Amino acid sequence: MKILLAPLDPVHDAGLKLIKRKLAVLGYQCVLLPPDITVEEIGEAALAENADMIFVGRTVGYGVEQLFQRVKEVLTRQGVFGKVRVAIGGMAVNDELAKALGFEGGYGPHTSIEEIHALIERNPDLARHVTHPVKHKPEFPFPHDYEVKLPETKKYLDQIVDGILDWVSDKTSPGVRRAQITESQLQEVHGSVENYTALPFTREYLAQCDRTVADFFQKNICPSNVRQITQDEVTAYLRRIDAAKRNFHPRVLQHGRKNPLVFIQYGTGCPMMDGMHIKISESWGADGVLHFDPAWGARTEGLLDGFLTNAEDGTPVTYANLSLIKHSLDDATLWTVRAHRGLNTPEIAVLSGFLGADMTKINIGYGSICGGTDPARLTVDGVEAMRIAVRYKMPFDIPTNEELAGVPPHKAFAGMLIMAQLGRRLGAKPILKPLLCHGPYIMVQGLMEQNYVDYNYAKIRALQTIADFPIWPGEPIGFMTHDEEKVKSAATTALHAALCASLGVDAVTTASTDEAFSRGPITSAGRAGALHGIEETFRFFGETDIAPGARVKDWTEQLIADIDKTLKAVAAAPSFVEALYAGLLGNKEDGVYPGRAGKNSIITTPPPKNGRLGLAPVPVRRKTVPAGKASRPVAAAARRCR
Amino acid sequence: MLTARDQIVDALDIESFLLCESEKEAKELIAKLMQSLGIARHVIVSLDFNGPGAHFRVRAYMNKSGDHYTWLKK
Repeated sequence: MKILLAPLDPVHDAGLKLIKRKLAVLGYQCVLLPPDITVEEIGEAALAENADMIFVGRTVGYGVEQLFQRVKEVLTRQGVFGKVRVAIGGMAVNDELAKALGFEGGYGPHTSIEEIHALIERNPDLARHVTHPVKHKPEFPFPHDYEVKLPETKKYLDQIVDGILDWVSDKTSPGVRRAQITESQLQEVHGSVENYTALPFTREYLAQCDRTVADFFQKNICPSNVRQITQDEVTAYLRRIDAAKRNFHPRVLQHGRKNPLVFIQYGTGCPMMDGMHIKISESWGADGVLHFDPAWGARTEGLLDGFLTNAEDGTPVTYANLSLIKHSLDDATLWTVRAHRGLNTPEIAVLSGFLGADMTKINIGYGSICGGTDPARLTVDGVEAMRIAVRYKMPFDIPTNEELAGVPPHKAFAGMLIMAQLGRRLGAKPILKPLLCHGPYIMVQGLMEQNYVDYNYAKIRALQTIADFPIWPGEPIGFMTHDEEKVKSAATTALHAALCASLGVDAVTTASTDEAFSRGPITSAGRAGALHGIEETFRFFGETDIAPGARVKDWTEQLIADIDKTLKAVAAAPSFVEALYAGLLGNKEDGVYPGRAGKNSIITTPPPKNGRLGLAPVPVRRKTVPAGKASRPVAAAARRCR
Repeated sequence: MLTARDQIVDALDIESFLLCESEKEAKELIAKLMQSLGIARHVIVSLDFNGPGAHFRVRAYMNKSGDHYTWLKK
């Protein structure tokens, strides 16, 4: 096929030159006319060259419609239009405009060569992988050997892990018991989001809960700022989600690299608003999402049930809410549910695993000294949650947001490595989640006065030197570097993401452009804005890395030495729990202190014979809430105490 | 029948540059602007005054978490 490429510009014909080069590779014979020619000359050239198709390009956008109407008139008069196929292109041209003007098709600045190929061959399938790309869920985390490479560090870690497992071996808690009750009940669930079957519960479950939870089930009283979502709302929401799924064309942010995968954290308070933010984030290229629960949920014994919305940050973890969110996800989206910091850690791990979450989040140290939970309680619950994660084949990540409270990175990292080694011992796939931030310790020490690159570089290099675990900086990257101004905020997120790409980490958690804005909720447009920035920055750097500065080597070595020193101190403590109380992984001077929620709630038991606390399964009886019951609060209607 | 406004997921942002003499004046003008657009409640997300005026972004929340969302109306 012979194709005539005709620029209708005085000088600019780069687009047609590019098309010529790419079409030549595909085997087409192309004739490129020089710029600054008349429409009549284009028609004459088409007849002289006996062209099968003409691409007429016009870079400048103004008056383009009138211009191409004239092109059509002239070519018709010459007997070209109708005999030779004609497509048009330019900055202000798209396929719709071209077809409206009666041309074969159109191309604009974002048209791919595959689409032009499809246009020439009249075969949309040739561009389907571009126009309708398919994204597959990656195997995540990517392969690692999970070995601690420094012998001294490994020795301390193993000593500490031995101590933790020995310490918890004769202990349990209300949280562990509730997880067992819930897990036995979940096997009976056959409902769906359209026809929600509420979790049954027993008096024994309620006996392990706080008054807030008991009042919810027994008196139908919601916690303040929480309301029950009606079935009508759920039905309308599902229609919205179905429409979003129909029109969804995945985008890939990474440009030439496999990693880092890009995650966003949601927790608007409402599972339906979360779902909409998730669909928007998926559409703008996010690879995964993380569920954040409200702070009060972490300090309350027991979980609520039903479709619930919270007017503040953090979406209540319930079976129904998680089901609704799971239903909203694209098949390729990785899903993490935070379990780690509160009194419901094992139970949330059970719900997450049962509902098919890809990962969960557990850090005993962070939850104890920053999350408000008693160290002893969270050690018992955290180990159980790791065992649950193993059973459900859920890797878990270990956040180190202690740094935001002022804990030095080496202490936060020591705690993270203890969790990683503990998880590994239990058969899990732990993921290190260092915080890339301009945190209080870093500010006070002046470690980022010159740039945000070098100290973050040293933090990641230190972890990579110590062990080969997956690394997923968060939460989010660039914490405390954001600005209320949208472009600055998107830029700092995107540049931190580019730094992470250079460092070869597995994934990143990114902020929205509203990260620094505290006078209202995060907006969906802010999520799209940040993802746009990341896409463009990944495109800018491609596979080119950011080089470290001269100070990185010394800082990396110092961090490794300080982590070792911290681990040595923890290993020498009477127990890991005592080390947490004593502040060895962060103390009041740093800005943190041991939590009190769940204090004195540990129950000492005889060691179980099979390694798990074997309590009798709880008998269940199901109640079903039919879909379409107008405006009926689902949870209250469904759950009755037996 | 859903209006365009009903279809806004959460918030409407308006970003522009106002010619003014001070940050205080910028805030007053933004309030008047939003009032003239029929938006009763707003919050200034960012405001940077310098030289000829202020670069600003102002926001009106149409749907907040926990609301009965307009985009779920029949």
